Amino acid sequence: MGLRAYVVRRVLQLIVTFWAFFTILFVLFRMMPGDPTSMFIMDGMTPEQREQRIAELGLNEPLHVQYVEYARQLLRGDFGQSFIYRDPVIDIIAVRFMNTIVLMGTALLFAYLIGITFGAIMGWWRDSRFERGGIIVTLVARSSPEFWVGIVLLSVFVFWLGWFPSSGMRTTGGELGGNFAARYGSVDFLRHLFLPALTGAIAYLATPTLLMRSTMLDVLNADFIEIKKAEGLPERTVLFKHAARNSVLPLVTVMAIATGSAMGGSVVIETVFNWPGMGREMVNAVNNNDYPLAMAAFFLMGSVVIIMNFVADLAYVYLDPRVEYE
Amino acid sequence: MTLLDINGLKTYYRADNGWVRATDDVSLSIDRGETVGLVGESGSGKTTLAKSIIRLLSDNAEIVDGSINFDGTEVTELSDKELRKQIRWSEISMIPQNAMNGFDPVYTVGQQIVQVIRHHEDGTSKKEARERARSLFDELGIEPDRVDDYPHQFSGGMAQRAMIALALALSPSLVLADEPTTALDVVIQDRILDTIKEMQEELNSAMIMITHDMSVVSETCDRIAVVYGGRIVEIADTETIITNPRHPYTLGLRNAFPDINDDDQELISIPGTPPELVDPGEGCRFAPRCPFAEQECWEETPEAESYGDGHAVECHRADEIDHLQEEAGKKETWTEQDLGRPEDSQSDQPEEVMLDD
Repeated sequence: MGLRAYVVRRVLQLIVTFWAFFTILFVLFRMMPGDPTSMFIMDGMTPEQREQRIAELGLNEPLHVQYVEYARQLLRGDFGQSFIYRDPVIDIIAVRFMNTIVLMGTALLFAYLIGITFGAIMGWWRDSRFERGGIIVTLVARSSPEFWVGIVLLSVFVFWLGWFPSSGMRTTGGELGGNFAARYGSVDFLRHLFLPALTGAIAYLATPTLLMRSTMLDVLNADFIEIKKAEGLPERTVLFKHAARNSVLPLVTVMAIATGSAMGGSVVIETVFNWPGMGREMVNAVNNNDYPLAMAAFFLMGSVVIIMNFVADLAYVYLDPRVEYE
Repeated sequence: MTLLDINGLKTYYRADNGWVRATDDVSLSIDRGETVGLVGESGSGKTTLAKSIIRLLSDNAEIVDGSINFDGTEVTELSDKELRKQIRWSEISMIPQNAMNGFDPVYTVGQQIVQVIRHHEDGTSKKEARERARSLFDELGIEPDRVDDYPHQFSGGMAQRAMIALALALSPSLVLADEPTTALDVVIQDRILDTIKEMQEELNSAMIMITHDMSVVSETCDRIAVVYGGRIVEIADTETIITNPRHPYTLGLRNAFPDINDDDQELISIPGTPPELVDPGEGCRFAPRCPFAEQECWEETPEAESYGDGHAVECHRADEIDHLQEEAGKKETWTEQDLGRPEDSQSDQPEEVMLDD
């Protein structure tokens, strides 16, 4: 089977995955105890008012009608209206979603770039002080809770050294640029981004580092490494072009999966650094039974994971010629 | 004309309980264009000997003594950089046992040949290097277009041919072939050996053929060195080793391989296992498995004795050749011997050595 057929098949699988994901999401939310009016009972809502509100929101319809209606909306790219804010969900969530993506994307990028490089060198210098020290540092980073790392970074770099701003995404009163580049490319933004992204990077560093190290140890035993050395190639070429290049393959899949946990785990970092991301919004939406908002949030985050896996599969074909399209 | 002159080489591995003497006081010299076979069991040190020549040793290995003179250059004294530039692949290349694993799986075979050519020859363009890879393929009987294939797309025999192309890409003066045909079936084995011979004669490269297969060496080699316990116990031209060996171990090896002309031949294996090479102590290392071991063999390491025409043997009883050859052909000579040191001799080795296995 050719590459094209493979891609087509993977795209079809992608669509099925999306459908299954959406359905499970829908059912899960309707199965949760409570409904959007639970929050207002304290305000002295009468049962009639409550019924009326439920009817307004369309929640008195049979489930399958709600399901079809929601699916139709989603296909049009419409996430509906928030029950609580009474604004279109897309307005509430789009910017926050981008903020989270930028934050966690940066964190993951650094974690994987640093992790892969250091893991490769740790494997290459097996039994060295560098390797032993590296493992300890990695495990400490891995075991430290994100909120604690965040607070330590804050107290050192903000309150003690005063190098970075303490919270938020940009200085108050700063110009909010209209386009993407102005919004996420300004020096002010990058200064705000640095500490929360570093916190995330520290938390996610261990997986790529340790995995890279252990696959390196495997790959370094392969005959071709010895042949490459015998060919008289410089160490750096053998290390990066051959050993690390082969060891990086399993990390592609792991990185796709890590994106998911990073998306979900962003809430802690967003809280510590007061980052206007989606994590906190999502938690509030679930607590309020704000179905459209919560579902949209979950849907977007889940989509990131599904799409990352898709990208990883395609990247794998490019990175490893042995992959069969079957 | 001597190409490689190894003298008193000792390559040891560090282990928890001391030095493993994988190559212990080995001397060997090889002429230009000559093929020398290193024959011995697994763990006898033949691969360590070959890898010492290009210093391709693991981190726990060390050349503790001896000299390796390659074409006037003392290999043991070169810096890593000089070694990579002057010796590795441009002068000495190798063919590994399993070619499929000898190529990096994520690059095409052509890319890997081009890489090594361009690394050693500044100024060679990618296109020229690629053309050379294609013509090498052609000479070795592989479709030239297959340079763009990945290693996993080759069959075992084809991969081995591609590996030979890689090994000969820079016309080295010495090729180290480490059991180059062991992973292949017998029919292909034969063709690959023929190909290696042809190419080698064309380039006038010398070769060290490492194998435990007597039939492979007898077909390809000018001379054979029999390696046991980290030492060359017997070396001579191929004819002599096959027809007139003097070392009991060589006699035993010969028994263990079938002769295609002799239907009734019974294969006789050498009982016991190769020796521990940590602190082997005095005495002949083959003595524990040797049916002809005498008191002297246990106490004194035999020196190499010359028997003319480059035939050297490390055995105290090599003079008794007629007796040995006759006895060694009988099965009961090997099966009915007592393994290990006889009771009556003074033991300076603790008994639990035997329990280690």
